[in-house]
Amino acid sequence: MGRLNHAASRVHTHATQILQNTRHTYPPPWLAAIQTTPPSEKLVRPVLKRTQKPGKRSSRIFQPVNITYEEDKLRWEYFNDHPWELARPRVVLESDGRDREKWDWSVELDVALNRPRMRSKDPFGRTGLAWEMVMEKQAARPLNGEAVIQRQHHLLTHTSLTPAAAYDKARKELYRIRHFRETERRVAREEAQAVGAFFGPGPLEIGMKLEDKAYENWKEWAIKETAALKQIQGSAYTGVGTEEAEEEMTPDFVEESPEELELVKESLPGSRKGQEARGGAAIHP
Amino acid sequence: MIIRSLLLRHGRRALPKSTTPSGTLRRRTLTGSPSIQQQEQQQAPKNTLPSEIRDPTDRIAQDFAFFHHQKAHTQHLGTTVASHYRPHELVANPPRPQDITLELLMASQAHIGHATSLWHPANAKYIFGVRGQHDPIHIISLDVTAAYLRRACKIIKGVTARGGLVLFVGTREGQARAVVRAAELSGGCHLFTKWIAGSITNGQQILGACAKKVVDENDVSIPGFGDQLPLTAALKPDLVVCLNPLENYTLLHECGLHNIPTVGIVDTDVNPTWLTYPIPANDDSLRSVQVICGALGRAGEEGQKTRLARARQGIVVRMPSHGLNPPTDGQAERDLEIEERARLAEVAVQEELMIEAEAAAVEHVRQRRAVKDSEAPDAELAELAALEDGGSVEAAMFDRSLKRGQDEDEYDAEEDTLQSYERDRPLSSEELAEALAVDEQSGFDQDEFVSPDDAPERSDRV
Repeated sequence: MGRLNHAASRVHTHATQILQNTRHTYPPPWLAAIQTTPPSEKLVRPVLKRTQKPGKRSSRIFQPVNITYEEDKLRWEYFNDHPWELARPRVVLESDGRDREKWDWSVELDVALNRPRMRSKDPFGRTGLAWEMVMEKQAARPLNGEAVIQRQHHLLTHTSLTPAAAYDKARKELYRIRHFRETERRVAREEAQAVGAFFGPGPLEIGMKLEDKAYENWKEWAIKETAALKQIQGSAYTGVGTEEAEEEMTPDFVEESPEELELVKESLPGSRKGQEARGGAAIHP
Repeated sequence: MIIRSLLLRHGRRALPKSTTPSGTLRRRTLTGSPSIQQQEQQQAPKNTLPSEIRDPTDRIAQDFAFFHHQKAHTQHLGTTVASHYRPHELVANPPRPQDITLELLMASQAHIGHATSLWHPANAKYIFGVRGQHDPIHIISLDVTAAYLRRACKIIKGVTARGGLVLFVGTREGQARAVVRAAELSGGCHLFTKWIAGSITNGQQILGACAKKVVDENDVSIPGFGDQLPLTAALKPDLVVCLNPLENYTLLHECGLHNIPTVGIVDTDVNPTWLTYPIPANDDSLRSVQVICGALGRAGEEGQKTRLARARQGIVVRMPSHGLNPPTDGQAERDLEIEERARLAEVAVQEELMIEAEAAAVEHVRQRRAVKDSEAPDAELAELAALEDGGSVEAAMFDRSLKRGQDEDEYDAEEDTLQSYERDRPLSSEELAEALAVDEQSGFDQDEFVSPDDAPERSDRV
């Protein structure tokens, strides 16, 4: 499929030609619509990059450019320092795509813990009422690594903090609120258990159970494999053995009737006497 | 110095705490909006009973009236949930072309392209850039997407306004609902299973058995062509919309051969020359496909509305020749007769199914009776008798539930003369007083119920 087929772009031209050549035919319903709104130009490659040296040509000028943001460097630093933050589940579903209009990153990440006391103001100069107004919207902010980066970026652009100081401030706000929330959950769990609630197994317990099950499966497989291996080894053995060894050599899982066993008990392949000949040259010389 | 609260020293608050954080908050945040009391007054029911009810004694009509009464009184209570993304709304109520914004397209993941190594270079001008270090992907320009989508919507509107037939094709999993809905809105056709190669080029063979009908400018069916229609060629669409062109190359090729314009969603790995009107967007995300397909369906709906409005005024666009002759004498009556027979046959089939269902229900009852012979045999016998007398299954089951209620709740048969609306509505103050008076007479203990006005001062009451 190497050659290009431009039939799709030439529908109007084609139809006009047919109409001119045939009589008593009315145009198809789409002809007028396509005439008003013709198809776009295809197979045009705009120049996207600048050449590095002014005189030279580059084959990469038509390729799309890399998109980079200032936050990318901050993300690199943060997630290298906190690798397990990448393991935290993150909701990427957006409602209307206008989250940046809702979240105000000038508000600290642990604002929920900074409710001012009655008739006093918090360190940021907010009264109780102002705090409530802020919380109405900002309480729904997701508090994760991305929040730290946005907060840090805001501090870098709107305050005179150094990059290191901004990073420290942002991440410590997250540490504080995370610590609070985890303690809250633990205490809530204990309180619930004290009044009779019970919880199912946590992820660690479930993981242990799965590991145990996998181990049991492996053990069964290993037993079967070992028995099979012993059987192969036993059949391949051609060494000389004593009477005791001959008794030991009989396999345990052989299910033959005692009478049959009695018949062949004396004759074993690997024994000193050797297997008793029941036919062949020994019987019919 | 220790400052004590002067409102109360101990015990409960004198006044209940308001649910809003602070009284002044309402004034400041809800600028221009009335207080909660005013809101309640505004939303108080004005006229709950719909005026369409003809027979007020009908049970169903009374239930309907009660439902609307309850709705009017309780709908404004509770929290108002802000509008947010509800997946089913993209199909049930798709966005119009005017509602398409760059934010909506981004939230629908329409900007996400494929890995850079898989791209088709002809798409270069639709791509915004590359994102990612280790597994870079292309990001599609959303302003380009919006522009091309609006262009495609104009085309569909133009085609449907002139009586054209649009075919919506979406063969990937999950695209069926969107495709069917868009076809429904545009008055066109849909396809969500595999496209059979040759449906356009070999239409007489593959689609020859499909039923056709002749309609006038107001979309009213014209009888009288029943003898000619089976002999005419299968209809070809005037425009094809394909939501996954990568899997439908044959369809697009056939459209090219027959000079049919095509619209489709072009991802970064799709060849845009296959389509007349490509829409660069993500075709792997169901949400983005539903947004785009919904907008195209809405454009078709607008075109249909325009066409019908013009037809009512007598403005009709001439269509290409259809190859039909005027109907012969008597053909119209024959066609109507055939239609009537088909309709009666369908009704008969439905009735047969109903009879089968009733027989199955009777059988079920008989079996249950055999099993539960020890428990109340008389009730079941009476029920069977009712069924055998010719009563309907529903009536028998209703009677059974009634009788069960009788045994369990000491249900009074006389009470059931009240209709459900009357029985379940909240009592007015006069009726409440009456009920209490009746209870008084029957020896109800006075001390257990005291009206708030007469209550003596008690220390532990708030």
